[in-house]
Amino acid sequence: MAETLILLTIGLPWLGALLTWAAGDQHPRLQHTLAVAFSLAAGMAALLLIPFGKDQILVTFPVGGAFGDFTFSPDGLGVFLAAIATVIGSLAVIFSVDYMRGEAQLGRYYAFVLFFIGAMVGLVLTTNLLLMFVFWEITALTSYALISFHNDDPKAVAGGIKALIITQFGGLGLLIGALVLFSNTGSYDILTFINNPAVLPAGALAWMAFGCLAAAAAKSAQFPFQTWLPDAMEAPTPISALIHAATMVNAGVYLLARFFPAFEGVPGWREAVMAVGMLSALLAAIMAMVATDLKRVLAYSTVSQLGYMVFAIGAGGVFASQFHLLSHSVFKALLFLGAGAVIHAVGTRDMREMGGLGQKMPFVRLVFVIGALALAGLPILNGFWSKELILEAGLEHGNPLWMLIIMLVVSGLTAFYTFRMVWLVFYGQPRSEVHAHDAGTAMKVALAPLALGTLTTWLLAGSFARLLSESLPAHEIAAHPTAEILLEVVTAPVTWVALLVIGLGLLAWWQRERLMGISKALTGLKNLALNSFGFEAINRGVVLGMQNSAEKLRDTQTGMLNWNVAYLLIALILVLAVLALGVG
Amino acid sequence: MTLSIPTIVTIIVLGLIGIGIYALLTTRHLIKVIVALQLLVKGAMLALVLAGYLTGQQDLGQSLAITVIIADTIVAVIGMALAVQVRRVIGTLDLRSLTSLRR
Amino acid sequence: MLHALIAAATLVCAFQAVRAARLLVSALWLAGASALVALEMYLLGAPEIAVIELSVGAGLVTVLFVFAINLTGEENLDARRMMPKPLAWGLLFVAAALLLYFILPEINQIAAGQVFGNFTEIFWEDRQLDTLLQILMIFSGVLGVLGLLSEQVARRPLTVKEHGK
Repeated sequence: MAETLILLTIGLPWLGALLTWAAGDQHPRLQHTLAVAFSLAAGMAALLLIPFGKDQILVTFPVGGAFGDFTFSPDGLGVFLAAIATVIGSLAVIFSVDYMRGEAQLGRYYAFVLFFIGAMVGLVLTTNLLLMFVFWEITALTSYALISFHNDDPKAVAGGIKALIITQFGGLGLLIGALVLFSNTGSYDILTFINNPAVLPAGALAWMAFGCLAAAAAKSAQFPFQTWLPDAMEAPTPISALIHAATMVNAGVYLLARFFPAFEGVPGWREAVMAVGMLSALLAAIMAMVATDLKRVLAYSTVSQLGYMVFAIGAGGVFASQFHLLSHSVFKALLFLGAGAVIHAVGTRDMREMGGLGQKMPFVRLVFVIGALALAGLPILNGFWSKELILEAGLEHGNPLWMLIIMLVVSGLTAFYTFRMVWLVFYGQPRSEVHAHDAGTAMKVALAPLALGTLTTWLLAGSFARLLSESLPAHEIAAHPTAEILLEVVTAPVTWVALLVIGLGLLAWWQRERLMGISKALTGLKNLALNSFGFEAINRGVVLGMQNSAEKLRDTQTGMLNWNVAYLLIALILVLAVLALGVG
Repeated sequence: MTLSIPTIVTIIVLGLIGIGIYALLTTRHLIKVIVALQLLVKGAMLALVLAGYLTGQQDLGQSLAITVIIADTIVAVIGMALAVQVRRVIGTLDLRSLTSLRR
Repeated sequence: MLHALIAAATLVCAFQAVRAARLLVSALWLAGASALVALEMYLLGAPEIAVIELSVGAGLVTVLFVFAINLTGEENLDARRMMPKPLAWGLLFVAAALLLYFILPEINQIAAGQVFGNFTEIFWEDRQLDTLLQILMIFSGVLGVLGLLSEQVARRPLTVKEHGK
C-alpha cells in the first residue's frame, strides 16, 4: 500500500505536467482544470501516506545496482514535508487559476509547477543519496524555469540565472557529500549511514558535513548565499509562495535535519550551523526593515525565519525546527498569496504607492493580518508556539547565550518590519490613485484554508512530535503530548522575554515619529542594508565571471570536422598511452 | 619476408582506418568526407572478418559484418542526399562555410 | 605472397582515393579498393560477405557517388588545408604505433573457438534482432532520402488566427 501511495504522490504530478502541457495553449480552461485536479489528487495521496509514517517501512525499487536501489522511506520527516509540498502546491495551483488568467503559455507554467511538486516529494521521501541529488537538481531546474517564466523581461531572466548559479554551488556540495559516502562505504544509503556515522573516517565525515552545510545554505538562501532569493521575486507570486517560501527553500533545512545525528559529532559543525542561521536571521531582518518592495520584504522575512530553523538545528532542537517549518510554510504561503492578491489588484509591488487598501479589500486584509501576526510571533497563532520552542532550544545543550540574545533581538525586529509592512499596505491614507478590487473566488478558496491552518496547526504539536520520535530513532526526539508542550512553552521564562521584545517592536513602529532621531543616526546602516551589505556585489561578480568564462569556452567548439576528428584522435592516443604505461 | 597472414591483414585494417582518418583530418569537401567514411568502414569490416578467421567462427564474423555493411551503406546514401540538398540550398560544399547551418 | 600483394594494392587504391583531385576519379579508386577488400575477405574464408561487399561497395555505392557528383557538380576547392599535413601524419603515426604495440604480440596466438552453426542459422536465428533492425534501417534510409530529395513545398501565406487572442 505504501508503495502505491509513494508512486502516486510522485507520479501523479508528473503525469499531470505531461498532460497539461500536451493539452495545448489553445484550451486554457482545460489546462487549469487538469492542473488543479492532478495537484489535488497528489495532495490526497500524500495525506493518505501520513499514517504510514509511524511504522518504519522501506520501499525499494531495484534498478540494477550500479547506483544503488531506489529506496524510499516514508518516515515522519519525509511524509510531513511531502504533505506540505503537495497540499500547499495544490492551493498555489488553485490560486494560479485566478492569478494567471489570460496569460500566455500556461502549458509551460503548469507543467513546470507540477514537475516541481513531484520532484520535491521525491526529494524528501528518498533514502538514496544519489537519487536525492537528482531530485535536488530537478527542483533547481524548475525553480529557474519558473523565475524566468516571463522570459521577455530581462530582470526575470537575470534573477533566474542568478538563482541557478548560486544554488548550483550548493548542489556541488551535496554531490561531494554523496561521492565521499560512496567511496568510503560503497553504498548511497542514508539510513545505514545515519544510524552508524562511524563508517566514515573523521576527515571524510567532516568534508561531508560541511559540504552538506554549504548545500543547505545555498538552497535555503542563508548567509553567505542570501541574495538570490530577493531577486527570485520576479517570479509570478504563486510560484514565490510555493517554491520560495513553502517548499524548495525548506529542502536545505530538511537536509540538515535529516543528517543531524550523523554530523553532530563533527567538531565545529554545530557552531557553524548556529552561526549561519543567526547571521542570516539578523542580516535579513535588518534588510527587511528598509525594503520598499512588498515581495522583497516577504523574501527577506523568509530568509530570516529559515535562519531561525537552521539555528534551531544547530542548537539541537530538531523537533522545534521542523515544527517551525510547518508553521512557517503555512503562514508564509498565506502571506505570499495575500500579497499576490494585492499585487494583482493594484498592479504594482512598491509599498510606497499603496495604502489604505483595507477598505477596498477586506478579505485579503483579514487573512494577511492573520499571517502577519503569526510571523511576528503573537500568541495563539502557530508562529508563536514554534518560535518559542526554538528560543527554548537555544537555551539548552550548553549553547552560547549571546546567540540567543541576538535571536531575541531579531524577533523584535521581525515584529517591527511586519507591522510596517501591514501598515503601509492596508492602513493609513491611500498614497496614490489605485484601482483595487477584492480577491477573486479562486484566490479566496486558496487563502481561506491557509488562514485556518495558521490558526490551528499548533494543535498538532503532540501528534507531530510522536510521529517524528517513533520514526526517527537516531534523532532521539522526545515525544510529549500536545498539552504538555504548550504548557512548557507558556511557562518558560524565555517566552515572556520574547513577548516583551515583540511588544517593544510594536511600540517602536507605533511611535515611529518620536524615534526619528534614532532613525537618522542609523542612516549609514540603512544604506548598507539597501546594498545588501555588499553581498550583492560579490554575487554579481560571481555570476558575471561564470557567464564570461562560458562565452570564452565557446571558442573551442569550432564546428569544423577536421578539428573535431583531431581531438578524437588525440583522446585515443592519450588513452592508449595511459594503458601502455600501465601495462608495461 | 614471411609475415603471417594475420599480421598482413592487420596492417591492411590499420592502413585503411588510418587513411580514412587522415582524410577526415585534412579534407574540406563534403563528398570526400563520405569517401573517407566508406574507407573507415571497410577497415572495420575487414577486422571483423579477420576475427572470424582467427577464431574459426567465420559465420559469426560474417553476420556481424553484414550489419556493418548495411549501416554504412545507408549512411552513405543519406549523406549524399544531404550533400545534394546542401548544395541546392546553401550553394557550396566547403566544410568551412558549413560550420553553422544558420542562414 | 598473394595476401601481401593485395594488401599493397588496397593501400595504394585507398590513398589515391583520398588524394585524387577530381571527385569522379576518387569514386573510381574507392571502387577498386572495395573490390580488393572483397577479394581479401574471400581469401579469409568468408565468401558470402565477399559477394555482398563486391556488389554493394564496388557497385551500388559507386553508382550513388556518380549520381551525387552529377547533381552537385564538381567544385574546385583551393588547396589550403585547415590542418598542416605533418601534424596529421604525426598523430596517425603515433596512434598506429600504439595500436600495433598492443595488437601484434597477440594476433598470432588466438586459438580457434567453438563453432556455433552455419551462416543461415546464425543470421536468421541467433542474430534475429540485428536483422530486424537492419530492415528497419533500410526503410528509414529510403524514407529519409525521399524526404530529402523531394521538391520544397510552397509556403502558405501566414493567415491571421481566427480564434482568441
